Amino acid sequence: MQTRKILTALGLTPALLWTLFPLYWILTASFKTELSLYARPPQWIFSPILENYKRVLFNIPFFQYLTNSLLIATGTTVGSLVLGTLAAYGFSRTRFWGSGALRFLILVTRMVPRMTLVVPYYLIMLKIGMLDTYTGLIIAYISFAMPFSIWLLIGFFDDVPIEVEEAALVDGCNPIGTLLRVVIPIAAPGLAVAAIFAFLVSWNEFLFALILSGVHSKTLPVVIAGLTTDLGPLYGEMSAAAIMVMLPNVLMTLVLQRYVVKGLTLGAVKG
Amino acid sequence: MGSVQSRRWFLVPGVIFLLVIDMVPLVYSLGVSLYEWWLVRPRDVRFIGLGNYSALVLDPAFRRSVLVTCILTFGAVVVEFLAGLALALLFAQPFRFLRPMRAVIMMPLFVVPVVGATMWRLILHPELGVLGYYLSLLGFGNPQWLSDPTLAMIALILVDAWRTIPFMFLVIHAGLETLPAELYEAARVDGASWLQAFRYITVPLLAYIMLVAVLIRGMDIFREFDIIFVLTGGGPGTATETIQLLNYRVFGLGHMGQANAIGVITLILVALMCYLLIRAVLRTR
Repeated sequence: MQTRKILTALGLTPALLWTLFPLYWILTASFKTELSLYARPPQWIFSPILENYKRVLFNIPFFQYLTNSLLIATGTTVGSLVLGTLAAYGFSRTRFWGSGALRFLILVTRMVPRMTLVVPYYLIMLKIGMLDTYTGLIIAYISFAMPFSIWLLIGFFDDVPIEVEEAALVDGCNPIGTLLRVVIPIAAPGLAVAAIFAFLVSWNEFLFALILSGVHSKTLPVVIAGLTTDLGPLYGEMSAAAIMVMLPNVLMTLVLQRYVVKGLTLGAVKG
Repeated sequence: MGSVQSRRWFLVPGVIFLLVIDMVPLVYSLGVSLYEWWLVRPRDVRFIGLGNYSALVLDPAFRRSVLVTCILTFGAVVVEFLAGLALALLFAQPFRFLRPMRAVIMMPLFVVPVVGATMWRLILHPELGVLGYYLSLLGFGNPQWLSDPTLAMIALILVDAWRTIPFMFLVIHAGLETLPAELYEAARVDGASWLQAFRYITVPLLAYIMLVAVLIRGMDIFREFDIIFVLTGGGPGTATETIQLLNYRVFGLGHMGQANAIGVITLILVALMCYLLIRAVLRTR
């Protein structure tokens, strides 16, 4: 048993190094001067500076981009949660001709390549004058987040016993009231997970933001990828911005990890 | 009394939204793909039927991008599957110190993809990169990760693997947790080795869930854009130009008809891949 324990630990070590090293390196890079960033041999011990963070925060309109990202992610979360909850509740409580096929069709919409969608989406948005608006991106992101939300929430609603609802109906609650006051409180953890995933879909998305956004609605991933000059990428600033953009994600990993397995096995997290 | 069945109407807004937002662009795209249309020449739009499609099939750049996409998809899925499986088996060991490590292993899954690719670009950088420095100390020279065609493909696979091995791991890990311990107990009593138990118990029982994981991952890497765009931009030359990157380039040129035709073809390829894989999955059941 003791040897097996040591062997397991030996196997785990490279996996942990492989996982953590890039994160560690970018974290230290964000606190390095350009000189120590480019130093050979690579510097493991250095005196940390905050210049990179200061430059990102004050030399570019970072807070404007942060606001864009936050507003778009919030809109996506709320929209996909409202539509997704209603749809999942409908699917969970009823069977009708073609309902199984319809459920599957919803999953299929997730398989459409983003690039295939973004070209016509761009042309349509151009025509109706919605390029570079929050609404244009939010609508797209809701459609990315919803298939997963629906499938996740169906699972949670299926666990709510129908008798509870019938009791509420007898007491004179209408269907909407039953959903709001009885079903949703019971399935609250599921809603929380769906909300966080929807937030991340929007927070992380790059392609649509790259093509559909402009000066008014640019989001943080696009800003980070664009932190370059004629002389090459500004790695120090990039690292600092990357660390700040990653913070909400890291917090959510810690909160979420219990639910992630359930969510993943239902299929398809990152769209 | 509003019967339970009346609740089917709850799903109407969401389903209509989803179908409209996904189907309208697709139908529109199908229409545009039949026209010769450059964005810079808005007055000169001609219907050319399947002209864009036949031009693509004959275009070496497009054929190459299909090949590149297939190599990337195959390479990434194989690496990720093997690593994910190995990790899952490691985490099946009954040691308490493994539990908190699961959250750590999961982390890359939540890193903003563009940010992850940016970090790797710094690590793989030919002059500044920490990886190249230590490899050259070990006598491997200083590999030009992103400017050598083969190495660029390997780098893409490794970076994608970094981000998504946790996904493979978690799905297989969840599957392993559901396997009854008695089976392994019985196998041990009968004198089966660890390898035999793996071959005759684990593999058959987990085949379904493993194929689902491969299916999802295969679909995702086939349509990957973010990390390729940030890491290699399709280069050097067109060595890592996948269908998605080519589509982006054609779109950037303003060749709308052809860009949409590429999109439609990608969709057909993805659907075909899914169909074949799903059929394979169902056969194992």
